Amino acid sequence: MSNIKILIVDDELIMRESLAGWLERDGHAVQTAASGEEALEKIEEIHFDILLVDIKMEGISGLDVLRKVKESDPDAEVVMITAYGSIPSAIEAMKDGAFDYMLKPFDPNELGVLIEKIVQHQEQARENIYLKEQYKDRTRFESMIGQSKPMQEIFDLICDVAPMDSTVLITGETGTGKGLAAKAIHTNSSRRNGPFVTVNCGAIPEHLMESELFGYQKGAFTDAKETKKGRLELAHGGTLFLDEIGEISMRMQIDLLRVLEDRVFYRLGGTQPIEVDFRVIAATNRDLETAIKSGDFREDLFYRLNVISFIMPSLSQRKEDIPLLAEHFLYRFSQETNKPIDGISREAMDEMMIYDWPGNIRELENAIERAVVVGRQREVLPENLPIFCHEPAPAIRAHSLKDVEKTHIERVLTENQWNIARSAKILGIDRSTLYSKIKRYDIEKIT
Amino acid sequence: MRPLSPHTIVISPIGDFTPELLDRISEEIKRIYAFTTDIRPLLGDIEFAFHPNRKQYHSTPILDELARRAPAEAIKVLALVQVDLFIPILTHVYGEAQLGGKACMVSTIRLNEGHHSLNTQEPFLSRIIKEAIHELGHTFKLRHCREHTCLMHYCRNEGDVDRKSDQLCRYCKVLLEDDIKRLEGKQV
Repeated sequence: MSNIKILIVDDELIMRESLAGWLERDGHAVQTAASGEEALEKIEEIHFDILLVDIKMEGISGLDVLRKVKESDPDAEVVMITAYGSIPSAIEAMKDGAFDYMLKPFDPNELGVLIEKIVQHQEQARENIYLKEQYKDRTRFESMIGQSKPMQEIFDLICDVAPMDSTVLITGETGTGKGLAAKAIHTNSSRRNGPFVTVNCGAIPEHLMESELFGYQKGAFTDAKETKKGRLELAHGGTLFLDEIGEISMRMQIDLLRVLEDRVFYRLGGTQPIEVDFRVIAATNRDLETAIKSGDFREDLFYRLNVISFIMPSLSQRKEDIPLLAEHFLYRFSQETNKPIDGISREAMDEMMIYDWPGNIRELENAIERAVVVGRQREVLPENLPIFCHEPAPAIRAHSLKDVEKTHIERVLTENQWNIARSAKILGIDRSTLYSKIKRYDIEKIT
Repeated sequence: MRPLSPHTIVISPIGDFTPELLDRISEEIKRIYAFTTDIRPLLGDIEFAFHPNRKQYHSTPILDELARRAPAEAIKVLALVQVDLFIPILTHVYGEAQLGGKACMVSTIRLNEGHHSLNTQEPFLSRIIKEAIHELGHTFKLRHCREHTCLMHYCRNEGDVDRKSDQLCRYCKVLLEDDIKRLEGKQV
């Protein structure tokens, strides 16, 4: 913590000198100013990291100095020095952007702690700016791709959110990249060297969920031949990503809430409490507030998860990213399949730009994969794209959207002999979403 | 008063300190700084620095007076006091030093959980020695060190003092050698 430039602004010589001497011994580069006027002259010439400013001064007051500093050098942090009688002014200063205030005389330890806190705050702010600059005008952020305004905003938001340790709730339609966003938050957080553990709440059957999350002790049940660590334990020191949190059973919601509150749990059959430290990121495509109203989701768990939240934009909200994404997938699949397809025809791209992509990026990815597999030319043509292989529309009847979706899923599953992976691919959704839809619509395999 | 040999560090007790304590400090100063030492009271009365409202002693004028009274041969002066010290902006200080200057001082009070009586038992004795070496370090231009075990580490409480070692870290040793060379008029 050296080379911190500090300006002490106080009209009392003895205060300036005693504080300067103290801070110099701490290794800081200290300058002093005997008045607000002198302080303003100095900040014109030099950038100071921290200013310690006495509130009560003749001429330009400490509050005026604070306001000027915040205008001309917003990165500088100002600590107001005040006597008991000036506490209301100090509170006013906090509203004007002062970092903190200290009552004269200070406890030397509190001063040291405050300086350390400011330095850490500034380092974090610099890191955020660096991250933002690094990704500015870039089309990629970690594994995410996008040059559209909504995606640039998401990248900025991730930069802001990542260094905090707060719980994050990511919502958005299926296939919008919620999992990639969660990973990007982890990678840019201080827990980046810790594990990133995903729990796909929609894909794990309820009866297995408990042992998956909490692990079990040897002998806890018939098949428990060995002690097994659960995902909560595996996430210690890192990030726990609860994907499809909207699909979790009511019972598991209660258990999960308790762990999130206490950060302590027991393995199944275990008697030793296990303390865990992880950050939680949850994601869902469901409207949890509606789920709360219908009694499907606990309100207390929602508020525990919904500390910071953001919505991943759908592909139709970021259509300008379609060419970039399509080229990316084309390159990937042509490499994987070793097929020399190196472009997308203008007509195919025009069609893709018109289409609404209800399955979002995953649907686009699948469409390009299919186009590469079936394509015979060096470029992707409209006829290679599954979205444009229209079948005659069935006669319109008075069905709800839910009914249509259910019927369509049933049909695809039956046509594919209940091969979940294949059916999910055709439907343009991931397997966990398909599982959750099967559960939600109560679709049963007819044998 | 007997003459001093050149380049001596003067240990100046203000109040009653046992010869054992002064000898231990003297030994440690020789070990760390490799200068001869001399125990010599320079200042008997420090009431001029007493602040009646705060009921504490302002350390800065005491240092100025010590520096003024230091014999010409004294390279540094370390004063020991058994009163509570302050500088105007802070509630209290364990000690104070003129950074790169001649004088420094240590108060034993806060190192003994606030008791005024002198305690020469461990860990109290080691605390006084460590803080004396620490304050002297400032007069050789050493600043606070982030290394927790270094004598120049700033301690927030007695526990911190107990945890730090009785050695300077390698960086502070180099910086000390630089300043000693400078003082001895050698090229660094």
